[in-house]
Amino acid sequence: MNEFATTPHSSSGALPLTSSQYLIWMGQSLYPDRPLYNMAMCFEIAGALDVDRFRRAFRELVRQNDAMRMVFEERNGEPRQILQDHIDFELDYLDWSGRDTTEKQLKEWAARRSRVNFDLGERLFDAALIKLSPEKYVWFFNEHHLIIDAWAMTLQYRALAGYYHALGDEAQPEPEALPAFREYVREQIETREQTAKSSAAAHWCNKANTLARAPAFYGRDKRMVDTASQRISLDLGPERMAALQELARRPELRSWTLHTSLFNIFASLLAAFTYRVSGQQELAIGTPAHNRTSPQQKNIPGLFIELFPLAVSLGPDETFLSLFKKMQEETNSFLKNARAGTSTPELSRAYNVVLNYINASFPDFNGMPMRLDWVHPDHADPAHHLRLQVHDFDQRGTIQLHFDLNTDIFDQELRTELPAHFLRLLDQFLANPAAPIAETALVEGNGEISVPDSEVIVPDTVLTTFEKIVGQYPGEMAVATESQSITYRDLDQRSNQLARFLLDNGLEKGDRVALLLRRSPELIISIWAVLKAGGTFVPVPVHTPAGRALGIIHDADARLVLSTSDLIDHLEMADRNIIRLDVEQAFIAGLPADKPQVTLSGRDLAYLIYTSGSTGLPKGVMLSHAALAHYIQWAGSTYVEQEVPVMPLFTSIGFDLTITSLFLPLLTGGTIIPFPETDSPADLALLDVLRDDRINLIKLTPSHLGMIDGEEYAASRIRTMIVGGEFFKTSLALAVSRQFGNQIRIFNEYGPTEATVGCVVHEFDRGQDEEYRAVPIGLPIARMPVFILDEYQHPVPNGVAGELYIGGRGLAEGYWGQDDLTAEKFIRIPALTDGRLYRSGDLVRMNRSGQLEYIGRKDEQVKIGGRRVELEEISSALSRHPAIGNAVVSLRSRRTQAAKVADHNCVRCGLPANYPTAEFDEQGVCHLCRSFQHYQENVQKYFRTMADLKALFTEKPGSADRAYDCIMLLSGGKDSTYALGQLVELGLNVLAFTLDNGYISQQAKDNISRVVQELGVDHVFGETPVMNEIFVDSLQRHCNVCDGCFKTIYTLSIQLALEKNIPYIVTGLSRGQFFETRLTEELFRKERFDADEIDNIILQARKAYHRVDDAVRELMDVSMFADDTVFERVQFVDFYRYTDVSLEEMLNYLDQRLPWVRPTDTGRSTNCLINQAGIFVHKKEKGYSNYAFPYSWDVRIGHKTREASLEEINETIDEVEVQKILDEIGYTEARKSADETGQLIAYYSAPASIDTYELRDFLASRMPDYMIPVQFIRMDRLPVTSNGKVDKEALPEPDHIRPSLKIEYVAPRSDMEELLSEIWTDILGLDRVGVFDNFIDIGGDSLSGIRLMARINEMLELELPINLIFEKTTIASLATAIEARIQTLLAAMDRAE
Amino acid sequence: MDKQLITYIKDELHAGDAGLEITPQDDLLGSGLVESMGMMKIIGFIENQYGITVPPRDMTIENFLTVEAMVNYISSRQ
Repeated sequence: MNEFATTPHSSSGALPLTSSQYLIWMGQSLYPDRPLYNMAMCFEIAGALDVDRFRRAFRELVRQNDAMRMVFEERNGEPRQILQDHIDFELDYLDWSGRDTTEKQLKEWAARRSRVNFDLGERLFDAALIKLSPEKYVWFFNEHHLIIDAWAMTLQYRALAGYYHALGDEAQPEPEALPAFREYVREQIETREQTAKSSAAAHWCNKANTLARAPAFYGRDKRMVDTASQRISLDLGPERMAALQELARRPELRSWTLHTSLFNIFASLLAAFTYRVSGQQELAIGTPAHNRTSPQQKNIPGLFIELFPLAVSLGPDETFLSLFKKMQEETNSFLKNARAGTSTPELSRAYNVVLNYINASFPDFNGMPMRLDWVHPDHADPAHHLRLQVHDFDQRGTIQLHFDLNTDIFDQELRTELPAHFLRLLDQFLANPAAPIAETALVEGNGEISVPDSEVIVPDTVLTTFEKIVGQYPGEMAVATESQSITYRDLDQRSNQLARFLLDNGLEKGDRVALLLRRSPELIISIWAVLKAGGTFVPVPVHTPAGRALGIIHDADARLVLSTSDLIDHLEMADRNIIRLDVEQAFIAGLPADKPQVTLSGRDLAYLIYTSGSTGLPKGVMLSHAALAHYIQWAGSTYVEQEVPVMPLFTSIGFDLTITSLFLPLLTGGTIIPFPETDSPADLALLDVLRDDRINLIKLTPSHLGMIDGEEYAASRIRTMIVGGEFFKTSLALAVSRQFGNQIRIFNEYGPTEATVGCVVHEFDRGQDEEYRAVPIGLPIARMPVFILDEYQHPVPNGVAGELYIGGRGLAEGYWGQDDLTAEKFIRIPALTDGRLYRSGDLVRMNRSGQLEYIGRKDEQVKIGGRRVELEEISSALSRHPAIGNAVVSLRSRRTQAAKVADHNCVRCGLPANYPTAEFDEQGVCHLCRSFQHYQENVQKYFRTMADLKALFTEKPGSADRAYDCIMLLSGGKDSTYALGQLVELGLNVLAFTLDNGYISQQAKDNISRVVQELGVDHVFGETPVMNEIFVDSLQRHCNVCDGCFKTIYTLSIQLALEKNIPYIVTGLSRGQFFETRLTEELFRKERFDADEIDNIILQARKAYHRVDDAVRELMDVSMFADDTVFERVQFVDFYRYTDVSLEEMLNYLDQRLPWVRPTDTGRSTNCLINQAGIFVHKKEKGYSNYAFPYSWDVRIGHKTREASLEEINETIDEVEVQKILDEIGYTEARKSADETGQLIAYYSAPASIDTYELRDFLASRMPDYMIPVQFIRMDRLPVTSNGKVDKEALPEPDHIRPSLKIEYVAPRSDMEELLSEIWTDILGLDRVGVFDNFIDIGGDSLSGIRLMARINEMLELELPINLIFEKTTIASLATAIEARIQTLLAAMDRAE
Repeated sequence: MDKQLITYIKDELHAGDAGLEITPQDDLLGSGLVESMGMMKIIGFIENQYGITVPPRDMTIENFLTVEAMVNYISSRQ
């Protein structure tokens, strides 16, 4: 959207700005005190310059070059430029010939002087002439970009040289006139309508829709960026230059001219570089079009250039040459469509990198050699994180590169490294254009990340340490449950006895022993027994489906299985040696308790643990004694302080995270408290654990932490928390820290099973980590060096994402029985290190605090509740179903499901297609408009007249102690201002109330104060210190700010009304807003229409509304809502229920009767600056504006046109401004992880749908519950990409699935539940609702509550109170209540008969 | 067609320079008669005048180096 000033007043000579000027003017207005658009040059002239002649020549330049005499001012909010006839300026002459001026001193002087802040209303240039010696002069020339571009500077230079030459000539010929810039400006303004309609404008408009977001260089994606910029310059030098010239002349790279070829080379390089240091493949680079299209324009000194994007998409195997070809086409398209006045702010948002290839040069000055230095003012447009300037201004024959780097994005270290990274790519391009771009190493060295070795001697096995601890603390408690306590001595002896038993049963060193046991003392004894007997334990959690458990036992080739009768008897395992501990207990207790003589080395396997495998079967990871001992030794030294640890054992034993809880306490003299599995599949042991007041150290996952949200644990004994297994959000860490009274150490421990539990760790730091979305994973532990490598196994530069490769002591030996997979995952890279490295498949990067940050997975692996899941394992299992052809499983977050793009709008009301539940008929009419026809009459009946309004107020005559008849909620907008005027005209005594939410625009405030003064009404501003918290809560609950703001207004105005004994509060809500907040279709559909009933329902809803637990209820004084009488003392009146005024009438009234002016400093729909932020978040999260629905009603009932509504709901939002506001109020997108947990969705191809229960059953025997998809979608065939893989992007979004809740789905059990379930699913738009699901949990709110109850009353012909839904919040309880009600009615009828 | 193109180059890119001689075989780019922006103006003119669309991938030296090459390209597209 281009904006221009109004048509110029020809008389005054003022002109509007061209669109290039406008953008610069806007940029400067944002940073009025920064010299970000100064263009300064130092021309060093070698020769005896005639100073007076130079001065006169400069004067001539100012006289001839009209652009230099332009000054700028703002009139009615719009900038304009005025040509001055004369500018009072004399060239500053500085004679430094007497002193020894070094180049450095000169540079510093020039840099200082270049940083002047030009007053845009005055002269926009500065110039000085310095005499360094009789034979050397420096002309310093600085101008504001508003009047000049690089090409124009060469014109000025040449003109000045020409005047200087002419003035030396005796004959003094008339100096050549410079063509006028103002003519160009005038032409631009006159043709701007044509320009807007041109095919070029259409091209860029379409282009804007295809551009990706700007990339994050080296992972730096800071939102608030200042203007400070540093220039790093380098000269390509003769060798590179020759190679470059040669390259540019090659036939396959030849473009229109040598300069076009060079331009394309640099553009390709910059794109390649940006890709390599951001990882982003869809990129746009901004570049200026010179816009001088005619020979005449080439001679005008002024501002012509305008930036346009060059967009390319880099494939995985892109070579320099193939990228060059893409860039060449893109450049052609750019050259063809770059037309002055067609660039837009939307286009510029897509890039933060600019290539400025300057094909302009400055010749000698009147025969004297000239050297030029382009002075950087140390500031630049902050939207341009990196600008690459490429030029050979003074015709040296070599190209100079300037990297202008924003210092907020690039720290000192990066500013030094960046040009080298660029040059490495340049050199590779020069050497071999056919080389893949990804192949070039950007950094030198092996990139090892490690910490100094602790020099602690780690024993080969944990058995050695255990023996020592038993010797030290024989009587201390090792394992404690409610019923039994086991001392270290007991544990040692009982495990010795069991070890003997195992050996007696044929166990040999290295044999695997499966442990199918509950979390219990027996499990712990068994683990130690297996290790002491020289065996390898294989944990099999008790809830493992039988098929999978047998599969693991079989795959591990377990010599023995240790279990108990109740757990093992249903498994059919004839061929295995099963030891039932309950059966053998007495016998084992009689065996000798001394240590069996078995010698173990560090290489022997301690355990074999199974994780999800991509082949459809779980894979066993082999961990050695040395690896286990190393981890536990490190964990003890890090996690255990003075207190001996008391740790709960409550997580699955099949999950390697649990290894910490199994071993750490016993090897540090602490105690394990086991919490056995229950029969329920949902593991709620954590809640018991936290209730237990013995533990002081706990290991768990972020998902666990999500479960305890909101509880208070300040009195807990827990001092240390080890969090591992998945992405750990900072917001969650902060919340947990607060819950524990900020008295707790929280460690984020990262580590794949293949590197023994944990190998990278970070202690959460509340202050420092806040700037990151996720808690960093920190640095590797001692003796575990890691590397971050790109696809070619080169180390990546700091900040750039790469795959984490892990080396060191803790590496697993490999995968059991899968040598090929082991060889693929455990590799050697001799160039980097001698040891083995495990390719983790995890993407990480080094953040700016020098900590590793986890980003995500490279492959198909996902985490569910902290547990690794290979999606391919599920899909390949599903594919084995006889009726299924092909299957794919995808993890979809609930939020992305919502944000679809609207591809059309209702032809009548403009409702966007992505509005939830919107349905359209063949004519493109939405369901709301269609059904509206049937009850339109009833809607009309709901509305009243002004006479009714007057009657309402006179019914309750003002008593003596009452100063006011009503409060008017005055937002300052047109609707509420009009309403206020009308109330005053009715003769009412009105108190106007406005909530100052901190974001009311100044112009709106001015309107308010003028209007209330004019009308002579009293006015108060309400405010609350918790406004920002309310905004954040509102954004999180409703994705808008209005809900929170409205509730605050209602709360404060009710307080005020009570205080001043005012019986009515009048709102200025539009009729459309009634339908958004109060009215629903159901209310009007009834044949017997009753407005009073509607009012009653609305009142019920209002009561329920104030009971919702949100930030307003939590943070503000809401004591008056404790009982409902408040709603008798204060009543709400919607002004627009009583008046039907057209927009035109309203504006006429405001124009003629009140001093109200339409504000220009806010978005269109509002007086409030933060509203834009709300709309932005809503659009982003839900895909449509929160105004889309109320406006559709305004259109439907004739208060707005469809066009006006569409224009407003599609209005462009200034993201930068919005981001500032969101930062200000403290809104971050991060929510509790539990909200965002994705859901597994399976897609399968089959001739006919298969029952979901059948598919769940089919998978249930093969995998644990958490791996079973929540929804199965049948397709005729799955979409595939060009290389034959399933195209996940093209899979349909699953619609409206019941969110996964802690409560299991329970189907309706009676006719009443069946009926209610149908109504619920319909109104909430879900696939199904369980009878125990809480109405609020599954997305219900007060409005849907009204609809729901209205629908129930309609269908059952009952008159149940609306707030019943907020008392009986499940289908089950509601059904019981309704049945009871029906029974009572029937009984009453019986009696009556 | 030759003449139309040559006239356009002379009038629009060289402000009607009467002394300028251009033949259909002249290398427009190498001789400096036309640079990249000028070439885009010629392409725009061709599109309008002869009712064809020149996609960016066809904007090559081979198709546009001389007036003769342009004529061949235009005929191939018509």
